[in-house]
Order: sequence, then structure tokens, then C-alpha cells
Amino acid sequence: MSTSDAETRAPTYRLKKTVPVPYTRDLPEIVGRNIGHWVGRTYHGAGIIEHISDTGDHLFTVKAGGTSNARFSTATLRKFAEIADAKGLGSLRFTRSGSIEILAGSLEQASAVKKAVEGIGFHVGGWGATLWAVNSCTSYLTCTTAVVDAPSLTQAIYNHMVPYFTGETPLPAKLRINVAGCPTACGGLVADIMLAGHYGAAPSFDPDRIRLCLPSSAKSLAQVVPEVQMVCPVNAIESFAKPDGSVGINIIEKKCIGCGRCKDVCDHITWDPSKIGVSVLIGGKSSNTGVGPTLARVLVPWIPVHPPKYREPVAVVRKIIDVWRAGARPGERVADYVNRVGMKTVFEALKVPVGLWNRPAELNTGFGVREFLAR
Amino acid sequence: MLEELEKGPWPSYVSELKKGQYPIEAYAQGLGQGLSPWFGGSARIRCEFVGFIARRTKDGKRTELHFRVYHPSGQFYRTDALRKLLDFSDKFGLGLIETVGQTGDFVMPIRPELADQAVDVLRALGTDIGGTGDTFRDSAACVGPALCEYALFDSLAARDFYFQYPEFYEKLSSQLFPFKIKLKFSACPMDCARAAHRADFAFVGLWEGAPEVDQAALRTKSDAGEVSPRDLAARCPGKAIRWNAATQELSIDGAKCKKSMNCIRQAFPAIKPGASRKIAFMMGGNSKGRFGPKMAKPVALLDDWKDAGEFMNHLLDLWSDRSPHKDRLGDFLVEEGFEKVVDKFKEYLPVEPAGHMVGAPRIVNSSVLTDKERETFATWADAIAREYEG
Repeated sequence: MSTSDAETRAPTYRLKKTVPVPYTRDLPEIVGRNIGHWVGRTYHGAGIIEHISDTGDHLFTVKAGGTSNARFSTATLRKFAEIADAKGLGSLRFTRSGSIEILAGSLEQASAVKKAVEGIGFHVGGWGATLWAVNSCTSYLTCTTAVVDAPSLTQAIYNHMVPYFTGETPLPAKLRINVAGCPTACGGLVADIMLAGHYGAAPSFDPDRIRLCLPSSAKSLAQVVPEVQMVCPVNAIESFAKPDGSVGINIIEKKCIGCGRCKDVCDHITWDPSKIGVSVLIGGKSSNTGVGPTLARVLVPWIPVHPPKYREPVAVVRKIIDVWRAGARPGERVADYVNRVGMKTVFEALKVPVGLWNRPAELNTGFGVREFLAR
Repeated sequence: MLEELEKGPWPSYVSELKKGQYPIEAYAQGLGQGLSPWFGGSARIRCEFVGFIARRTKDGKRTELHFRVYHPSGQFYRTDALRKLLDFSDKFGLGLIETVGQTGDFVMPIRPELADQAVDVLRALGTDIGGTGDTFRDSAACVGPALCEYALFDSLAARDFYFQYPEFYEKLSSQLFPFKIKLKFSACPMDCARAAHRADFAFVGLWEGAPEVDQAALRTKSDAGEVSPRDLAARCPGKAIRWNAATQELSIDGAKCKKSMNCIRQAFPAIKPGASRKIAFMMGGNSKGRFGPKMAKPVALLDDWKDAGEFMNHLLDLWSDRSPHKDRLGDFLVEEGFEKVVDKFKEYLPVEPAGHMVGAPRIVNSSVLTDKERETFATWADAIAREYEG
């Protein structure tokens, strides 16, 4: 077979995906021999955990906070690999929130890793009663539906949060902040403080290009509902036949909730950049501690965004943290605190104007595994 | 504007972008305008229909293509294996990696002209691209028994199992569902994989009854000042703990226990999960869907993660038949009725369905406001900003 044959041949074998290797195959040696043998842990500050095994092994993990949206150049990741080789056990793991955990064999090694990580400008922390890694979606970096840019907003927040991450300034409990660029909220609503970008008003559409998302002839409306209309959860989009035989749509502002599902299926839905903002939600959590897993609820439906400093969202996040720090008992996450004092009290403490979109509703609890327990 | 984002004490993602060859001008332009610069683009990779996403700018001048690459369960890497992936990114990509996307995979921008070849190179490294569009997304597991003493089942093995589950495996390459499908596995009720909210099918480790207490070991910890039994009793969310100071014994009422793990995390291994281990199987959670964000609802308590395969497979067929495009499984369950659907497919489960769902109001995290309302909130936010500028 000539080379050109090989290039043009359809590689049908690709239709069968190569699944990732069984997890036990490429594990670091010390992890591989201790699967299921761990019996305890000791925290050495906010960024080092000592894992204790019943085989007598002690493994140390050092957690370095990642950049916004976990974006790393290969040059930087090579530096992390070098640190893992030179100071640690030659292994690391990526966490689900974009942090990097480097494995070390002793506390001395772990301290050396910490020092080296700080040497390349990263911070070590994010365990226990601290700020954990901020979860940011990609937004303007790759996403088509993003309204607000989450990575830059995350960067602005992070720049004010270093002492909370490293554990230098104590917090009552774990704090998770999610930042999402659109109401889809890819990171989920299980964050203590959640910022979600949205239009602030009903979206509009590009009048010249919207036809690309619609059937070409109005006759087809008898058989099909255009997808951009169908995905709307509140029937705020209506389609009609234009006199020239093509299809037109209307977005009914009074019905619209700004969820952005139309934008999800049609690139030519657009918005007024002067009205975009973020909603602020509080009290979500994933863990079954305290009141159990629950979704965050709206505190403020809209605040303006002004990159690159984002003074308003950053200040509001800091204010919420300060109110929580002042009022929470030790170990109380935002959801536990809100549940104890009541959402109304939190609204009052923050002097939030109450409107149609942010009534101080109490958190619902009892989700997750608690749905299996006796009531 | 980008320079501003490189200042400050937290390591900057903009500096990272600049070290690679990411088309940063497009990003800067978007940031200036308040509009994402990207529109849906197109790319063709032979016999690959899932796992890559193409973008173009509105003017068509710049394009972006990225791969979603499966992590091994647990996301552990030896540095030699990691360096191979970094070499791959330097050669075929832009020298830039998102180490974990929101779905949980490695996201690698790729040079479009090398994309076809890159797929084979990636496969030789023992992984693949996958998890985009209306099919199985990359599943996620907490670190489980590999690093955590609280693991009640092997979440990592469970993820591996469902990757290879024949009926699911054959659908990894095609987009035949109404929308995405996510499976997540958390080995204990702490739910580090955020399964109960972010997965269509969630597996969370659980035990029945009260945690086990080793009274002697607990007394040792108490005497050493490591644990305060009184504090454990006070902080128990279910008020299930009693500390008898006279006998120096701690008792836990299994009927009241909320499985919050509070006492276990304080006193492990003197207090540890009960011996009757189960897997709480839930479904219908999602962040993105027609009816907004939802928590998963309870289906059954399984003995083995493998027991849910047939149930899921049959349910997915019905969902595919009945749901319109872009309706998540959770939306389908809302429309059809959760109990009705569970009842219809319970024959595929080895155990009877269990649990009772908790109703929740619909959450809307966006809003449509008038100019006056926006003004009100802007004034409020401005006052807080001034407070911190003071």
C-alpha cells in the first residue's frame, strides 16, 4: 500500500473509542499498593495532607491552586513535573476543580515541594476551612453561549482571596465559589457563592442572519416547530410566516426568563452588551455535611460587570464572605449558616433590594443520599 | 485590558495563554466588546464524530479547535506519562492545556491541519478524544479508595466499568441521544464528584444504620484531646449521638443518622461507616436543562454498581424516543413523572426501588430586568464596592 492510500483510507477503527487505561495500571507505585488501605489523614496547614495507610506507608499530597479555568501552558506544567521529580515522588494528579496535587514521601519532601511551587508563583492551600479552588467555565476562551467572561472575573476574585486560599485568614468552613459565564452554569449550583453571567434583559437576534437558524420556507411551519422556538422553556419565542414566504421570529420580552437556551442552538441570538451582568447565588453545596446537598438560591439577580477589575462582583463576594465570617459558627458552611439564621436575615444584613427575581426563599434541604433515609 | 489581568498575586491565566499560541487577540476583542468572539465552526476528522469542538470568529478570520481527552480515573499521572501528553500538545496543539474541563476531561487546543494525525498519536498514548455533543460525556469519579479512607465503594473501578459497558461503549462515538448524558461516582456521602447535582445518573456510597463505634479507640482519642465526644454529639446534624459521660460511651441512633460524616471525619477510624455498605443510585440531576438546575432523585440502594446498567440502558432508549432535542433526562422525568418511569423499569433492577423524593422549586439564575431595576441593583453594588475601596 502506498503512502497516499494510507492517508485517504477511512480509519473506521476509530469508531471504536480507546477507553482510558484501567485506573490501577499507571498509578504511582505508593498509591497502587495502598488502594483501600488508607486509615487516616493529618493536615499540615491548608495545603498539605498526610495520608496514613495500614501498610505503614505515609503519603503526602501538596495542593497547588490552579489558574482561572485551569489553563496552563505546557511550559508551566513541565515546571510542575520537574518539581514532582526533583522534590517529590515523580507523580501528580489533577483535581476536578483545576488544582494540581503533587505527591511527596515525607513532610520534608512536601515542604520542599510547597516551597518550589511557591517559587514559580503558585499558592499552596485550599483544604479544610479555606477557600477551595474557584470553578470557572471557559466563556470567551472557547464558548459560544457565554455572556460574561468567567476566567477574567475569576482572576479578579482570586486576586483578593489569596489569604483565604492559603489559610492565612481563617474561614468558618470550606468555601466554594463557582463562576459561570452564562445561566447554563456549567460548574453547577452546588457552590457556596455562585456567580452566573446573563443578559440582564431579553436577548434579541441578528435580523440578517437569524434565517440561518430557521426553516427556509414558511410552509414548513405547518409540520415543524423551529428548534430555537422549541427549546424555549417558557414559550417566549414565536415564529410566523413573513409576507415573502420566509420564517420570522419574535422574542416576547414579558415571558422571557433569559435562560439562554435559544442561544445554545442558534449562534445568531444576540444581546445588548451594555446590559449584561452576573446574578449572585448563595448556599449551594454538594457534600452531605450539615444540612446536606442543596442548590444555591438567588441573592441578587443582577450586578454590572466591568472587566478587567470587576469592582462590583468582587466587592459583593467579599461582602458575603465577611457577613458569613461574622455570623457563622465554626464548621458552618454558607448553606448551614443561611439555613440556621434564615435567608431573610442574610438579605437584611446585606441590605439587598428585594424584587421579583430575588425573593428571600428559604433553602430546601434533604436532597441527595438523604432521600434514602427514614424521615 | 489583558495586562491588567496579569497583575495581582494569583497566577494569571493570561500569562499562560501568552506562553502558548492561543489566538489571544480574539479573546481580547471579545472582552472589550462584552460578547463572546466565538461562533460554531466546523472541522472534519475522518471517522471521528465525538470529542472535538471547532469554533470560528464571526468575521471568519480566526478559528479554534480543541480536543476533549479522557483522563484515567483518578487523574493520577506519573511525570513521564504527563510529559508525553505535553510533548503531544507542543507538537499537535498550541502548547496550552485546560487540565480539567467542566465535564472533567483534559481540554487541548489542536492545530486543525494536524488533528487527523493527532487522534492516532493520542490513541497510542492510551487515551482518546470523546465526550462532546449529545452522547455520553466523560464520566467522573472522586479519588475514591486510591487516596481516601472514607471510600465505601471503588468509584474509580465503577467509572472504568461503565466506560466499557457494551451498550454504552458502542454509543460513545455517535450522537444519538436528545442531549448529553453524564455519569458520576462518589464513594461516600461527601460527594466530591458532585454526582447528586451534576450527573444524569449518580452513584454515591452509603451505609445503612448507624456508624460503627470502637469505644476503646474513641476513649484513647478523647483522652489525647484529638476528639471531643460532647462536641460530636452537639454538632451531629441528625441529633443522633449520645455521649454518656458516666460510662464514657458514645452511642449513635441509626434511625436518626443523616450520614453527614461529621463524627466519622472527626474520629476516624474510632468511628467509621456501618458495615452494611450500599450504593445510592439516583438520577435526573443536571445544571443545564429545559427546567433549569435540579438535584437528582432517588432510585434504589444497590449492592453493586454493576446492577444499574440494564436499567439505565432501557431508560435511555425511552428518553431517546420521547424527548425533543436539548431536553435532559431530568427534564424527561419531570414531564413523564419520576415515579411512573421508575415503576416501568424497576424489573431491570435486582432490588426494589427505595427512597422518597424531595420537591424543590424551580431555580432561575438569570433574570429579565427593566432599566430601573438594573439601576437599583447597580446602585446597591456600587455602595458595597465603595465600602471596600474606602
